[in-house]
Amino acid sequence: MSYYLSTVAIYFGVDLLAAWGLNMQFGWAGVPNFAFIIFQAIGAYVTAVLTLGPDTGANSYQHYVLGMQLPFPLPLLAAAAAGGVLSLVIGIIAMARLRRDYQAAVFLLIALIATQVVSGDVGLFNGSNGLAGVPQPLAGTLSSLSLSEYQWAYAGFVAVVCVITLLFLRRLGRSGWQRALRASRDDEAAAGALGLNVAALRLQVFVLGGAIAGLSGGLLVSFITAWSPGGWGYAETFAILTGIILGGVANNWGIFLGTFLVQIVFVEVPSFLPEFGYPGLIDKLEWILIGFMWLTVLLLRPRGIIPERRYKAGIDAAPQRNVSRV
Amino acid sequence: MVTWNIILQAVGFGLVTAAIVGIGSMGFTLQFGVTNILNISYGNILTVGAFAALLAQQAHLGLVVTIIAAPVAGAVATWILARTVFAAFARRHGGAFDLILVTLACSLIIQFSIDAAAQGQSFSFSFPVGSTVHIGPFVFTVLSLGLIATAAVVLGLLMAALHLTRMGKALRALSTDPKLARACGVPMRKILDLTWLVSGALAGLAGLVYVTNSLTVDAGAGLNFLVLVIAAALLGGAGSPIGAVLAALVVGIATEVVAAIGGSYYSQAAGLAILAVVLVARPTARTWGGTVRDEVTV
Amino acid sequence: MSVAYSKLSHRRRGAATVAGDALLDASDVRVRYGGVEAVGGASVRIAEPAVVGLIGPNGAGKSSFLAAIGGQAPIAGGTVLLGDHDVTRLPAHRRARLGIVRTFQTASVFDRLTVFENLLVAGVGYPGAALSRAVTGGARAKAATAAARADAVRVLDELDLRSLSDNYGSELSGGQRRLVEIARCLMCAPILLLLDEPMVGVAPHLVRRIGETCLRIRDSGVAIIIVEHALEVIEAYCDRVIVMAAGVVLDDGKYDDVMRNGSVRDAYLA
Repeated sequence: MSYYLSTVAIYFGVDLLAAWGLNMQFGWAGVPNFAFIIFQAIGAYVTAVLTLGPDTGANSYQHYVLGMQLPFPLPLLAAAAAGGVLSLVIGIIAMARLRRDYQAAVFLLIALIATQVVSGDVGLFNGSNGLAGVPQPLAGTLSSLSLSEYQWAYAGFVAVVCVITLLFLRRLGRSGWQRALRASRDDEAAAGALGLNVAALRLQVFVLGGAIAGLSGGLLVSFITAWSPGGWGYAETFAILTGIILGGVANNWGIFLGTFLVQIVFVEVPSFLPEFGYPGLIDKLEWILIGFMWLTVLLLRPRGIIPERRYKAGIDAAPQRNVSRV
Repeated sequence: MVTWNIILQAVGFGLVTAAIVGIGSMGFTLQFGVTNILNISYGNILTVGAFAALLAQQAHLGLVVTIIAAPVAGAVATWILARTVFAAFARRHGGAFDLILVTLACSLIIQFSIDAAAQGQSFSFSFPVGSTVHIGPFVFTVLSLGLIATAAVVLGLLMAALHLTRMGKALRALSTDPKLARACGVPMRKILDLTWLVSGALAGLAGLVYVTNSLTVDAGAGLNFLVLVIAAALLGGAGSPIGAVLAALVVGIATEVVAAIGGSYYSQAAGLAILAVVLVARPTARTWGGTVRDEVTV
Repeated sequence: MSVAYSKLSHRRRGAATVAGDALLDASDVRVRYGGVEAVGGASVRIAEPAVVGLIGPNGAGKSSFLAAIGGQAPIAGGTVLLGDHDVTRLPAHRRARLGIVRTFQTASVFDRLTVFENLLVAGVGYPGAALSRAVTGGARAKAATAAARADAVRVLDELDLRSLSDNYGSELSGGQRRLVEIARCLMCAPILLLLDEPMVGVAPHLVRRIGETCLRIRDSGVAIIIVEHALEVIEAYCDRVIVMAAGVVLDDGKYDDVMRNGSVRDAYLA
């Protein structure tokens, strides 16, 4: 049971980071990044190939680049950097001033291209088989811990990363920059006509969100020690988006709630139900349920359970009676 | 060794891929042009069509029924979906992007419902392939020639209907400027129903065409073509079947030629990349600070 | 007038006019959309602050001309000078920083920002919207925000909008949206204000309020170009009128003179 809880806690923390990252892009700036999952994936891959040794000897069943056996926490920092750099490259190429629905289609295409490239180029990240045997961080130093204790320590670490990220996001979320992003989300042309450089703003939030995505990928792969294209199909972005839309777009606590509901309640609770039908039926029913949940939320409470908070100006209500004379 | 022969053969294969993508794209562009909804669940209608054909085959209803079952199922499923779910959201003044999220949810529901009913299995599908035919340097099977011919016939029929019939012209008007069309007394309900039925039928047909090539039917049938279908439709211009077919040709042929020259794993990526690049560059996709059509017509 | 105009005197980065330069000099501007020429060589020169009306029948190219000056439409030919700055190739946001601010035909208030935030986002200034400032914060950021808040309150009071401060843009009526849009423009300390049909769908008393606001804005040193259909509005508030038809300027002068021009009357009847 202890393993189970610590595992769930770690998955929740990673999903939360990913959701906050996607929310910066989608909730704050209105960027329909349907390719989000590939930025988590690059973080995971980079962490993996920096933590693994070279692909020779015991590792020769898989082929990949680098293999530098770097110590913790360097691979994690590299994961964030990888997410950010890939976002910069894709952002410059793909974030032209497109209609939002065309933009969404372009991002879907990019997600597919990424899957094709990684699956096809076996020497890069071992193709569709993916990487395995990624060493867990500080496993040597902490070898005195039991497996359960190690997992809780890892969960604690993930929690710390989440808290730091939340503090960072709260700071950003109260800034003129975030307000400018929301303005460009609501009306891009008007924002430009007021002097806001919408393209630059969007690129900035895209890179930041991508870095957080990369970090979440690094944390995840260091825990589950394996990573392959099957785990980051384009539908995964929609799973993360579900937490955002359900819990509350552009509200960090709403997203906490939404991710909790989706990840914990929807995914974990059913696994406690008695097995019925054939194996795997419950998984499929979960996805169907998620679909219906989306529809319900979109219909009844499109801004989410805990929506974006209204900014109170804090000026008193008594209006000045005199409009200044000419 | 890459010879002209090999390249020409690749062009031939590309024509077949283009036919498969093209039929789907024509349906999609028709739907998107009129309704302004980027319908992600369109791919799942392909699956519905494929399964309809499979069921007809398993019930031994004969080849003709098997072929007809797919577009009929696609048409009915699309019409029901549009008139219930999409209409409910459009009534609440959902904008174009909000509807995309709705179609995403529908896509999940449809895909996993089919998967649940099919118990996660894939089924084999048989279809007469015919003998191999050599036309100059090209190598085709009778089936693949049939697919190309089908695509060509569908294109011809669509273009004729859109330009020569009253309903077709009304549909084009609705596709170009819905407000104006409404004001001019275009029979909105009839045209919209027609749009849903025809585009749904084309999606179902595309699903059938897809499985005649792959010969297996499962809940993911046609989904890996979905993004190509959408991209080709957008690239060719919303509402323009001939544009969709041209774009499909570009993708299909580019994909196969790159595969012939460079190896198959980069070929799909190349096709997608071409689409992505040209899509980004396409002027009508851009916003120029003017009004962008955000309302949907359901 | 008040707030934003006091900013004009210490306006950043010299879009200030050099003596002898006109405030706005747009000459022989051409705008092409696809194969259609929406504006075929239109010119306007505004030497001093004034309220200039831009009228013409539908399809005359008025909004396209405005868009060419504002930066929303690509200029296929001709030049646009703001003071001594050639803004012809500049994107819209750079022109706004130099002092060209505009409204849009469909009132473009930010729906999911409150009225106060609508003003803040325009007024904090481009440094205030910078990521670096968001991350580091600090005393300068706080001071800038406080100044912007003070400016926003003053602009709200000038247009008597204080009671709407905490309303979302989507919660406003049509006329209120127009006023907020103009208030937002004021926060940018414009030199040239472009108003695209600001009176459409606005109640008569609000029309008067907007008109009088325009006059006050002009008096504090801002040139305004206002595209409008209602000729009474043009007559009441404009110092000068430009008539466009079929993408070119037909006439340019005082309202009465222009209205007497035969070709202008023909253009409206055609």
